[in-house]
Amino acid sequence: MMTWRWAIRDLLRHPTRSALSLLGVAVAAALLLDMVMLSGGIERSFGELLRSRGYQLRISPLGTLPFDTEATLGDVTALTVALRRDPAVREVAPVLGSTMQGAHGAIAASLVTYGVTPTSQGIYTLESGRDLTATDTVGILLSVPAATRLGAAVGDTVSLRGRLDPQMANAGAERRVLVRGIVRFLYDAREQPSVAVALAAAQRLGGPDLTDRASVLMVRIDEASDLTAVTARLRAAHADVAVNSIDDLVAQFRLRLTYFRQLSLILGSISLVVTVLLVGTLLAITVNERSGEIATLRAIGVARMNIARQVLVQGLLLSVLGGAAGMVLGLGTARWLDAILTSFPGLPAAISFFVAEPAPLAIAAATLLLTGVLAGLPSAWRAASTPIAAALRSDAP
Amino acid sequence: MLRRLASCVVLITVLWPGHAKAQRIGIAIEQRLAEASGLAVGDTLSVASPNGGPRRPAVVAAIIEPRADPATILRKEYRVRFHLADLAELLGQPDRIDRAAILLQPGVDPDSARALLDRTAFGYELHGTAALAASSSTTFLVVSRFHRAIAIISVLASAIFLLCLMLLKVDARRQDVAMLRFIGISRRTVFIALLLEAGVIAAVGGVLGIGIAALTSAAVNAFYQQTFATTLIFSLLTWRTIVEAALLGLVLGLGAGALAAWRLVRLPPLVLWGRAG
Repeated sequence: MMTWRWAIRDLLRHPTRSALSLLGVAVAAALLLDMVMLSGGIERSFGELLRSRGYQLRISPLGTLPFDTEATLGDVTALTVALRRDPAVREVAPVLGSTMQGAHGAIAASLVTYGVTPTSQGIYTLESGRDLTATDTVGILLSVPAATRLGAAVGDTVSLRGRLDPQMANAGAERRVLVRGIVRFLYDAREQPSVAVALAAAQRLGGPDLTDRASVLMVRIDEASDLTAVTARLRAAHADVAVNSIDDLVAQFRLRLTYFRQLSLILGSISLVVTVLLVGTLLAITVNERSGEIATLRAIGVARMNIARQVLVQGLLLSVLGGAAGMVLGLGTARWLDAILTSFPGLPAAISFFVAEPAPLAIAAATLLLTGVLAGLPSAWRAASTPIAAALRSDAP
Repeated sequence: MLRRLASCVVLITVLWPGHAKAQRIGIAIEQRLAEASGLAVGDTLSVASPNGGPRRPAVVAAIIEPRADPATILRKEYRVRFHLADLAELLGQPDRIDRAAILLQPGVDPDSARALLDRTAFGYELHGTAALAASSSTTFLVVSRFHRAIAIISVLASAIFLLCLMLLKVDARRQDVAMLRFIGISRRTVFIALLLEAGVIAAVGGVLGIGIAALTSAAVNAFYQQTFATTLIFSLLTWRTIVEAALLGLVLGLGAGALAAWRLVRLPPLVLWGRAG
């Protein structure tokens, strides 16, 4: 307790210097916090998004990731039946993605159109109105951007046009559909105008090219089943398609985000170096200034260990106070940086780059505190080994 | 002139030469694929659409080195070029394309041509080259904004660090300053001396920093160019950056030095010496 009081008193003795050092440590701690959040944040965010509807597997055309290309799976009915034969598979949700034209009155807009099986889908949540039913082939669900662009609301009738022929300037297929509800598509980018209709309706609008086809199959398996074993089994049974678990997809995603992981490592390390330099310099100067006082303490019998502990506690105190201020500052800057990065084109709106997770944050805090202590070690050693007589002589008036 | 483009993921397997019975098509593969798979000009492959459909034998007619593209570098995909008709047939979508590039006659205003074509557009959209370039560079603009934000935080941290160091350094010279004042050196002279010292430290630190930046930049480029097997430049240290950084460092150093020096010279010499209030 005495040691802490000594450290606090010493910091208060030079308020400007201590405040600046604390501010420096706080900015370094904020940067460290942001980089820890960035290093794994988007992966966790992406994983959580994929898991949000409970489908553990995605099946896409061989050599592709879901919705990464325009390739589609063929013979979807047979594939779905075959997948359902696996005892661990509880549900298979096919999704067909394509681009179609929507029209409401005089307004026409290009729309991302999802064909879904309304009773088992994992790509949207209902916001208003009602969902499609299993037999509903004349209903449509709009995202808010699609509704805004078309100027349509629940209860309105809109036209959906597929197989557009630029040469003949006509649509090969057109269907009038009733807006049943407004939904939020989980994987959509910001302001993406998307709609959902029954899978059969989307396939018909797409024409022969899309008959019995889907872009991806989302598969839900029994919670009690071993996901790795089921994935391996399905891969062996369906070698002509790509079977990916959420962990596989996150791993692929991670590969594309190498840059951010490396950047966070570099900047996180720099912030620790800044902390070491700040705390180390402050303590070195403090020990220099107090050499006479330290020699007196040693002369009256205070143990070397106690002197060293006092210096180390001062370093720890700087790290604790600076780190606490840095946490607040870091959360603020993380929101600012996240707002910048989430404006990446095509990125799902639900994804965050900076995610605060207890374990990484605890590791960052522990690293910062340890850094503060380590930075004080040379000064603590110097203070503990101060030659008493020489220090007292040089400090004498 | 209309340049038509079609693209798709295509599955490729290497065939033994004797297996190529059907009519073979010529393809060009990129250097990375050739190196990774040990393919050479004249080798025969089997190509198919992931949508299904028949496989076709294809002969490697050329090995190409596509222009380095930062947009696709992290995807690590391999590029294969087909004749348009071959790819369309392979995909089962004859006479279809993803996009077309239009070269206008000299003197034709692109905006008015686009407006004219837009009036008759059905099932397609027209984009001017400038708008398309702006749109496709959005990713890099976001990265650039992110870098700028990180730079602001770094400058803030550096400024505080510098101010702190100057304060500590000048503070450590209290007795020197007191002595100078005792022997009659004016506050102004002491202030200028401390300021000059801060300026020299900032300038030397700046030069060292630029040296470290040049080394780091070279290391970053070497690492990423090897990692991604590309000629792209990842870290670019320009003269403008150097001058801006040096000036910023000097201004911050002088500012911090001035503040620290002012705090010191305004105190009476006895206080600085530690023998008065």
